[in-house]
Amino acid sequence: MSDSPLISVRNLAKRLGGFVALEDMSLAAERGTIHAVVGESGAGKSVLARILAGIEGADGGAIEIDGHKVAIDSPNTARKHGLAVVQQQSALFPDRPVLANLFVNREPLQSGLVSRREMRARSFALLRQLGLAVDVGAPLGELDPGERQLVGIAAALLEHPRLLVLDEPCEALDRNQRDRLFAVLRELKARGMTILHLTNRLEEALALADQVTVMRNGRDVLSKPRSDLTATEEAMIGQLGLTLFPLPLRSLSNLAGTLRPQLTVSGLSGGRLAGVEFSARGGEIIGLAGLPGSGASDVLAMLFGHRRARKGKVRFPDGDGLPRTRTEAARRGICLTSSHAGVMADRSIAFNLSSVVVGARDWGRRWYSPKAAAERAARQVEALRIRSGSDELAGSLSTGGRQKVAIGRWLEIGPQVVLLDEPARGIDTGSKQEIYGLIRQMAASGCIMLLHSTEMSELAGLCDRVLAFRDGRIAGEVAGAEMDAAALRKLITGDTAAPAPEPATTSQRNAA
Amino acid sequence: MTTADTSPRLAGSATPKTKPSFRLPAEAGVVVALVVLVGLLGWLQRSFLEPANLFALIEQAALPGIAAIGMVFVLSLREIDLSVGAVFHLAAVVAAVLIAAGIDPWLSALAGVALGTCIGLVNGLLAQALRVPVIAVTLGTWWIAYGLSSVVGKGQAITPPADDGGFFSTLSGKAFGVVPASVVIFVLLALTLHIVLHRTRFGYRVQATGSNPEAAADAGIATATVRLMALALMGAVAGLAGVIHLGAQGAIAPADGNDFALFAITAALIGGTRLSGGHGSVVGAAIGALVIQVVLSGMALLGIASAWTSFAVGVLLVAALAVDRLGRIWRSHRADRRQAAKRG
Repeated sequence: MSDSPLISVRNLAKRLGGFVALEDMSLAAERGTIHAVVGESGAGKSVLARILAGIEGADGGAIEIDGHKVAIDSPNTARKHGLAVVQQQSALFPDRPVLANLFVNREPLQSGLVSRREMRARSFALLRQLGLAVDVGAPLGELDPGERQLVGIAAALLEHPRLLVLDEPCEALDRNQRDRLFAVLRELKARGMTILHLTNRLEEALALADQVTVMRNGRDVLSKPRSDLTATEEAMIGQLGLTLFPLPLRSLSNLAGTLRPQLTVSGLSGGRLAGVEFSARGGEIIGLAGLPGSGASDVLAMLFGHRRARKGKVRFPDGDGLPRTRTEAARRGICLTSSHAGVMADRSIAFNLSSVVVGARDWGRRWYSPKAAAERAARQVEALRIRSGSDELAGSLSTGGRQKVAIGRWLEIGPQVVLLDEPARGIDTGSKQEIYGLIRQMAASGCIMLLHSTEMSELAGLCDRVLAFRDGRIAGEVAGAEMDAAALRKLITGDTAAPAPEPATTSQRNAA
Repeated sequence: MTTADTSPRLAGSATPKTKPSFRLPAEAGVVVALVVLVGLLGWLQRSFLEPANLFALIEQAALPGIAAIGMVFVLSLREIDLSVGAVFHLAAVVAAVLIAAGIDPWLSALAGVALGTCIGLVNGLLAQALRVPVIAVTLGTWWIAYGLSSVVGKGQAITPPADDGGFFSTLSGKAFGVVPASVVIFVLLALTLHIVLHRTRFGYRVQATGSNPEAAADAGIATATVRLMALALMGAVAGLAGVIHLGAQGAIAPADGNDFALFAITAALIGGTRLSGGHGSVVGAAIGALVIQVVLSGMALLGIASAWTSFAVGVLLVAALAVDRLGRIWRSHRADRRQAAKRG
């Protein structure tokens, strides 16, 4: 057996549109180790995972496996080299049964036909270890987000890879599921599997890893064995994300004299939600924290008239009652921007920016006037710092630019209530900062801001108060000086017990 | 924590003990609809239930039914093939012309099926090359095939001379004296293609591609090839239906097969296949074709003006879609309740 690392990545570079996702990324993972790659979201971890999976090609750099340079140009090549990659938003098939998802494109055959019995037998032990007690004949779409994520991981493990790449595997998992997953991963490591663990949570990385590589803006900035990591270095890594957030604009004093609009929610129930109560004032940024499936984003959908509430009273600044439709919401000055809503990619930026005004609100003219739209758009493009002309196609923008357009189209109507559902998910660091600045600005102008995110550091850095959701209820509230990503994570995962068994929390204490 | 089971056997050969919760097969709805309709018509009109009448009914449903079970593959891919009717007609016309020209009827029939397969392949290649949805390409090939069959058939019914090779006598004959040959082929084909869709890798790939094309590509599925094969299968099946029609009727008239595409899509939807892809039922589509035919024949039997039949089929489809929607609402309610129960 050679002593070269199982996989080494050298000077990998990748551009996506105009934006540099990976600039100069290098790392080497030894056999039988867990190698954590830590970096805030937007640092390029997911792009790295997609390159290793063979979904995207690199623009420069080299990948070596067993000391031999390889070209991973398709998912099947990656698989041939023994690589299995679990993507962040697991690429799965919601209409298909769990079993079909586990063995997609590798269904075991028996006399020429796919054998369901064989699939059950092969996956049974693994599913039990992962704590997945689900009906494997049920469509995947009927499972919880956490269970779905575990199915994605199980599908990769069933390939028996030499190198397993996990991109944010714990995002949707509760504490119990995470512990089980980690136990399985340690066991696999002991049996010789190499694991590349990409995450933005330092304590998660420290709990598991033998080697830690820190990634920032598409580069590796530090790579050390876990045991050599000093407390100050841990603290430094823990601080990485915090530089992103602009200082709050101290606007509340200006508004103090005027009557501040208020949003009151009481006893809101429906779907997963049960008895949600809170209130928010203009100028305040309220965070909603929660794992996927905890109901935090459902609150936003209900306030926007996108989902029906079973019961509950909501008082908006302009009167009682939830909007019944999204059009009504827009007319009442309530706006929602989510990470997956997107823009109309084949229309111009100007068209996109005026879509809300034209679609939902009367803007004083009967007809859509391209000229007026272009004027307004030019103003917005300037304000939003979008680096393209307003007559270019929205599809030509980077993900960050599109998200700015998605938020910008609401600014024209002067919204009173701004609902943001993961507004900065999956975009580059630069655009992120600008969007955070925009959020602060909107708050300073007196809007009621509700921000849902699964990224705790984002909430901790941006919000005045954060409500933590667990299983459809508010599990707690964090504000002011206690604001801390780790505290929030404990609330949403229901981890009230003493710190994790691993040395994870000591680092947190040092970081604080 | 996980002390009880920390001995991982990843490729364990443990006996599966998962007890799957009971779920109705996707075809339950359409089977109930068929039974109710047949029962109702039999109660209103005793003669409807006579075997001869029932077999005649199935025979009428067989050819559009064959198109419908092919359509399930295309719909499972989240695509629609509109050219089915014209391919059916062109295959029959070409086979008829070849027989009239003195070529062996079985060989001519094979040529008809091969022609259908080729048109399916062309559909797939065009959709791939032009990067447009299959529905757009097949709208074009529908016109083309329709035009070609008018040119070849000169717009008239073609009646090839009967032969002694047994082609016409076999296809218009009856097994055991009662079961028409086309029904035998229909049933065999439905069962075979059901197994192909649900028990072969090809079938799994078709449904995976329809459910989430991007994820399918990420999993290493050659989605373009899968689509090409599904469309070729659709073309082959449509061509087969065409030559069976020729063999059973002994002739092909200009209007035959006009409404096949819409009939096939309707039957597949009634049978539980979804336009959004990812889930198809071949047996469901076959039964769906029977349901439509029962409505059509039943109304004629009851003496209702034939003008109303199209109306009734439309109502049936809308009702089927509504039932499907209600079922999904109910399931998501149940899932919510189950979650609520889990957290106590």
